[in-house]
Amino acid sequence: MRRIALFFSLLACDPVHSKEVSALPGEVPGVPHGPTHRPGQPCLLCHSGEFSVAGTVFADPNSVTAANGVSVSLLDSQGSSFVATTNEAGNFFVRKDEWEPIYPMKVSITSNGVTTPMTANVGRDGACASCHVDPVGPSSPGHVYVSIDGGTP
Amino acid sequence: MKLRAITCLLIMACTFPSSTDTNTVTTPDRATFPPVADLLGKRCGTLDCHGSAYRNLRVYGSLGLRLAPTDRPLSKGMTTPQEYDADFQSIVGLEPEIMTEVVTQGGASPDRLTFVRKARGTENHKGGSLMQAGDPEDACITSWLAGKTDVAVCTSATASAF
Repeated sequence: MRRIALFFSLLACDPVHSKEVSALPGEVPGVPHGPTHRPGQPCLLCHSGEFSVAGTVFADPNSVTAANGVSVSLLDSQGSSFVATTNEAGNFFVRKDEWEPIYPMKVSITSNGVTTPMTANVGRDGACASCHVDPVGPSSPGHVYVSIDGGTP
Repeated sequence: MKLRAITCLLIMACTFPSSTDTNTVTTPDRATFPPVADLLGKRCGTLDCHGSAYRNLRVYGSLGLRLAPTDRPLSKGMTTPQEYDADFQSIVGLEPEIMTEVVTQGGASPDRLTFVRKARGTENHKGGSLMQAGDPEDACITSWLAGKTDVAVCTSATASAF
C-alpha cells in the first residue's frame, strides 16, 4: 500500500508525464469522468495502473463519431486472447486483473460481422492512441476506425 | 604534479580532431539488406517501438514509420528503397567501429554489437528478448553480418514471425 502511494507520489512529480497529460484536450462539459470520457486519447497515460490495453474505435476515418458495440480482439505472443467491446463513446478498456498481454500483440476489430485485422503488431504500448493519432501522416495511420473500404483500422 | 596534470587536461580539452580526419568503415552488404530489413521492420519497427521517430535506432518500413511525407503506416504498401537505405544507415551507424570488426572478421562474435545483444535479450532491452542465438530470425541477421545473407531464412523468418 505504501509502495502504491509512493508510486503515485512520484508520478505526480514527473514533469514529463505532467506535461503530456496537460497537453491533452480537456474534459468535455457534460461528460462525466468515467468509461465514456476523453475518447481518442491515450488512455494509459493516466490509467496505466488499472488498464493493460485501452483505446477508442470510431465509425470512419474522417470523423470522430463513436463506434459502439465493436469487438476488439487481442491475441498475445503466448497465444492468450481477450475480447473487449466498445461502449457508446467508442471506448474500450481491459483491466489488468482481467488480462495482460505478453507482447507483441495482434489486434483485430469486428463490426457487423466484418473482421479487420491491424496490419502490424503492437510492440509494447497498450494505448491505441499512442500511435493512432490525428492527423494521418508518415508516423501515424490516424485514429482507429471501423473499416469501410477494406483499409486498416 | 597537480599543475602538470591540470595543464595536461587543459591541453587535451583543447585538442580537436582535424576536420580532414576520416575513418574507414566496413559495412555489411547493402544489396542483400532488404530481406533483413523486412524482418527488422516486422519485429522491431512497430510504431510504438523502433518505428517511433523519437528512437535513436529508427526503423522505417511499410508496417511502421514512413520516410516520405506522403506515405502512410500500415498501408500494405512496399517498403521503399529510400527506407531500406535509411534502415541500413540506422543499423550500420550505431557502432561503426565494432561493425567494421565484426564484418571484416566474417561475422564472428556478432554479439559484440549492441543491437544483436538487445534483440537476443542478453542486454537490457525494453522490448525484451525477440530472438535467440541460432534461431531463424537471429540466423537471418548474423548471415548478413557474415556477408552470406540467407535470403530464404530471412523470408521464412519474416513470414512466420508472430
